[in-house]
Amino acid sequence: MKAQKVKQTKEERRKLLRKNLYKDKYLLLMIIPVIIYYLIFCYVPMTGLVMAFNKYQMGSGLKGIYTSEFVGLRWFQQFFQSIYAWRLIRNTFLLSFFSLIFGFPIPILFAIAVTQIRKKWLQKSIQVSTYLPYFISTVVVCGMIINFLSPSDGIINMLLNKIGIDSINFMSLPQWFRPIYVISGSWQSFGFNSIIFVAAIMGISPELYESMRVDGANKRQLIWHLVLPGIKPTIILLLIMTLGSLMNVGFEKVYLLYSAPIYETSDVIQTYVYRQGILNNNYSSASAVGLLNSMINFSIVFVANRMSRKLTDTAIW
Amino acid sequence: MKKIVIAVILLALMVSTFAGCGSTNNTSSTTSDNVTAEATKAADPTAGGAAESDAYTGSAPITTEAGQSLKILAQTSNYTNVDITNAEIVKKVIADAGITVEWQLVDYTNYKDSVAPMLSTGSVDADIVLLPDQDPNQVYLKSGMFVALDNYFDSMPNFTKWLDENPVIKAELTAEDGHIYYVPGTNVGKDYQPVLMFNQVWLDKAGKTAPTTLDEFVELLRYYKANDMNGDGALTETPMSIMASMLPYMFGPAFGLDLVSGFQVDANGTVFYAYADSTNYKNYLTFLNSLYTEGLLEIEYSSLTRDQVIERMSNDMTGVAFDYSWAMSMMYSNVLPYYDGTAATAFVGAAPLSGEYEGYYVGRVELGNMFGVNSDSSNIELACKFLDYAMSEGCQTMYQWGIEGESYTVDASGNKSYTEQASDNDWLQQLGINPAFVFPAQQSVASTDALVADWHAQINKEQEQYVKDPWPFIYATSDESDTIAMYMTDIQTYVDENTAAFITGTKSLSDFDSYVSGLNSLNLSAVLTAKQTQYDRYASALK
Repeated sequence: MKAQKVKQTKEERRKLLRKNLYKDKYLLLMIIPVIIYYLIFCYVPMTGLVMAFNKYQMGSGLKGIYTSEFVGLRWFQQFFQSIYAWRLIRNTFLLSFFSLIFGFPIPILFAIAVTQIRKKWLQKSIQVSTYLPYFISTVVVCGMIINFLSPSDGIINMLLNKIGIDSINFMSLPQWFRPIYVISGSWQSFGFNSIIFVAAIMGISPELYESMRVDGANKRQLIWHLVLPGIKPTIILLLIMTLGSLMNVGFEKVYLLYSAPIYETSDVIQTYVYRQGILNNNYSSASAVGLLNSMINFSIVFVANRMSRKLTDTAIW
Repeated sequence: MKKIVIAVILLALMVSTFAGCGSTNNTSSTTSDNVTAEATKAADPTAGGAAESDAYTGSAPITTEAGQSLKILAQTSNYTNVDITNAEIVKKVIADAGITVEWQLVDYTNYKDSVAPMLSTGSVDADIVLLPDQDPNQVYLKSGMFVALDNYFDSMPNFTKWLDENPVIKAELTAEDGHIYYVPGTNVGKDYQPVLMFNQVWLDKAGKTAPTTLDEFVELLRYYKANDMNGDGALTETPMSIMASMLPYMFGPAFGLDLVSGFQVDANGTVFYAYADSTNYKNYLTFLNSLYTEGLLEIEYSSLTRDQVIERMSNDMTGVAFDYSWAMSMMYSNVLPYYDGTAATAFVGAAPLSGEYEGYYVGRVELGNMFGVNSDSSNIELACKFLDYAMSEGCQTMYQWGIEGESYTVDASGNKSYTEQASDNDWLQQLGINPAFVFPAQQSVASTDALVADWHAQINKEQEQYVKDPWPFIYATSDESDTIAMYMTDIQTYVDENTAAFITGTKSLSDFDSYVSGLNSLNLSAVLTAKQTQYDRYASALK
């Protein structure tokens, strides 16, 4: 009797599904391009990971990815045999970690601050002026950094000289690379990254503000007890997604700013892959290190998602 | 109606999704050269077909069959204001050959980064390809992507004649399997090489002559640092403006080291790595560290660019430079505020500095850009003929001198000289002079002599005696290239990092022995074994 009931329920569910599919057929059709996009640009190329386990022959084309000589874990071993392997992982992780620690809260704080401004024209002006750096190309930003920090005629060193401090060769001292990378990155992106938080704050019902004010809440209490809890799901979602690319530092920016004297802190997995894999035409080696990088990223996302589910009951899956 | 609108939106979305999935295999700009085949028109109209193509003897046209076309994958000019496909010289070579060319040009600055991955996938839709590098590890030729040209030597009379006249280059071009795969452009090996240059006005003001030893050189830098050489009332001058890449050229030989390639051969024919020389390299670093500590080698030396050097010169802010000789009158002297076209007011080249070892200048490998014929081409023979024609003396004259009557004239004795208009370098570049980006062009000393200032050409002649051959171009076998590729990235990283640290003093020279130990632990011996084998092969090929 019970089994029959379950069977009936399943049939009902199937009917409901068919009904819904028919009803939303046009909406569902619209998702086809997205599925095709992910198939072509994400899932099919993913099969090319096999290249990390073989010795890809130049000129052997797409077929060569799957048919070249199998070499097992040779490229992984080669990477870990390098005296720089752990330094590369450490540098890659730390650059992203510091970018996250300093770069992630700033857009949230900025979004909270900017939504508290009553005058709309002032609010819009501040928002637009903080978005703009995001649209400057990396090459230009790096050129600006190098010029501003030049020990001979850079504006920063000129200011230091004015207050009696000797010029500092920022771009040749390893200890300065991480602060420069993180601060310039945060400056460039905090305005743009705040958009989603501003939208989340705007989504909080005005009635909640009103009722808290009626209850006598001040501004600090409003932010602490209403705004922050209101945007918590957004913060956690973005945090987990950001963690997913924790090991992906911007290759272009590091490549444009780094040099031999500061390899100690600036040489990252991506720049090493460029030198070892691309410049030496060793694409299998580059694929292996890329795969390793992605595996670390995936592990971090997995752990972060589990932790988030346990601590806050909010998770991506 | 609603359904139609939705269907249209869906269609648009799908089209936009597939927009990036085309078969284009590069990010290059593709231009079609619709040059009319003047030579084809001029050719015998009664002739045609295969019999005619066999009739090619090294001179234009390479075919009399109308409508023949080739696709060429090559570089844009390094002059951003030059469209090389529309340059007169390039158009004339194509027109004379009697074909049309569909160009696939990739930006000069990232050619290797763009084209190497294209070649790796074997998805190049061009008949002739300018290689992203000289293929020293035989990666491309072993992939079967390029035709063994010696199978077509019957159709390449100019190239075979040139190879016979240049046995060293022929030996260098011959791959491990005995075939020749590429048609090369060539550089001048001993002329117009990187040289030391002094501001003659500053030298005269200091009452000194160009130093020839390291000690004299340091004394001169100290003098420049302590005196107001440009008379602006402040000691803001930078005594020496040297890009980091030039330091090995400038000081290595004085310490008995070829730091340009890093590999050199001792008197017994044994290959060693100059950066692991426990005595001479330490002395080299000690010397540079002392210059850095004293402020004679500037704090920004590792990031100094040529543009910054030129800017300093235009403001009369520096007294010593080291760069390719070409820069002497064409980029450096001509921006000096007081340059009057004579050596007395210019940056002039001098003898190399000597230290414990007699100084010399490191020359350049003559092999330049390499062009190969794609094995998948449906026009292999035509492509071979075109490359051969591009190597002909007539074409080389055009590459070096331009177009007769426009950029140069020939006197009754047959001597060539540039016209007044050719002194305008922008115009000359737009004409397509030295089109090494698209054709196998050979650099010429005579044409360069005629182009630079007379005093500059004279200095170049005097400096030939100091130029020594660099580490030769030698093809690596698969095993050798595997070994080198596996270990050299770490070795190079280690050397670059430590060199900078020793020079700037962030690492003490008392740690030099541990640096050498660290270098040896990076499998340097395996790399040296591979290099020794290569060198022995090269030496025996020369015998």
